[in-house]
Amino acid sequence: MCSRILRTLPTAIVALALTQPAFAHDQVGVAGGLLSGLLHPATGIDHLIAMVAVGIWGAQLGAPAIWVLPITFPLVMAVGGVLGVLRIPLPMPEVVIAMSALILGLAVAIRLRLPFPAAAAVVAVFAIFHGHAHGAELPGSANPLAYGVGFVTATGLLHLCGIAIGTLTRWPAGERVIQGLGAGIAGLGCYFLAQGLGAFA
Amino acid sequence: MTLKYARGWIAAALLLLPSAADAHIIAARLGDFYMGALHPFTDLQDVILWTAMGVLAGSLGASKGRWLILVFPLGLLAGLAVGRMFGPVTGGLADASMLLVIGVLLAAAARIPTVLLCAIAFGLAALRGAANGSDLAPDTDRLLFAAGLACAGYTVVTLTMALTVMFRPTAADPTSWQAIAVRALGGWIAAIGLMMASFALAS
Repeated sequence: MCSRILRTLPTAIVALALTQPAFAHDQVGVAGGLLSGLLHPATGIDHLIAMVAVGIWGAQLGAPAIWVLPITFPLVMAVGGVLGVLRIPLPMPEVVIAMSALILGLAVAIRLRLPFPAAAAVVAVFAIFHGHAHGAELPGSANPLAYGVGFVTATGLLHLCGIAIGTLTRWPAGERVIQGLGAGIAGLGCYFLAQGLGAFA
Repeated sequence: MTLKYARGWIAAALLLLPSAADAHIIAARLGDFYMGALHPFTDLQDVILWTAMGVLAGSLGASKGRWLILVFPLGLLAGLAVGRMFGPVTGGLADASMLLVIGVLLAAAARIPTVLLCAIAFGLAALRGAANGSDLAPDTDRLLFAAGLACAGYTVVTLTMALTVMFRPTAADPTSWQAIAVRALGGWIAAIGLMMASFALAS
């Protein structure tokens, strides 16, 4: 009896872990649009880590990057969103998004201190690609306005998370933690880059 | 004594005169007032645009923003009247452009003059007033609907403005976290407006 349980239990656990949740009711209208917009940046790990890395790097760079970033990033990202809505293609979007995680993670890990215009230009290029990916989903969403509100809010909150994490730079130990986090983000960026280039195909 | 009798007669008359009390005044035609007051909250565009307008007015300070207490409801009434005569003049592009303008002004922390602020508020309110009045049923009491809409506009703009004025930093420090938070909100609003404008053009 006991051995049978021991044999079947791992199978049950693995089966439970691998299953996807079944959503019997698709969200529609404002709620559906808002939910899909909020979840779009959060469920794509490559988007999520890149946005957090932008916030952390901004905190590392200090003023004016730390306060210019949350004000201008959504607008620049919206330019990419416009390209996505208008179905204007960008070259290798998945590869560039993966590269954004890799490069921003590296910048955090090695405490790269670029002049502000150069740092802003790097972030702006990546923002356009991330915005393009989100914007391409907008016309097909349940409610486009609610979707736009959701994904802009989620992106802004991810930046805030990054800036909050970045405040750890005030302490030497915290700086080490952040650099380790940057290395982790860069590692994940490498993985997504390899995936984007078809290494796992 | 005479006064005592007179009071008695008045009390008896008051008891006899009133008709049945209607606890639910929606059934007594006042429902159109509530329809006007609630109608804008059923549309996300109204919620976002009205709130953004209140934040912009509040970010400019109470001395400039207080004009909107009068201008915004009047704009809604004007839009409702104009919309009835000429049909709804609003569209996705007009609303998105308004969002973009308000968002950019907030993000840039632009100190616009009171006249321009009032003109933007009146234009926005007129657009949304016309949009709100566009799908009224023929038997709707337009006066009650307009009163409800104006009350809702007054309440939302005044409350949002007051909250923003309270949230603003007391000293004129452009790098205080409150000032940056308001400007970041402006960046978010402008981003939504820009994308919705492109969506309106594409569709």
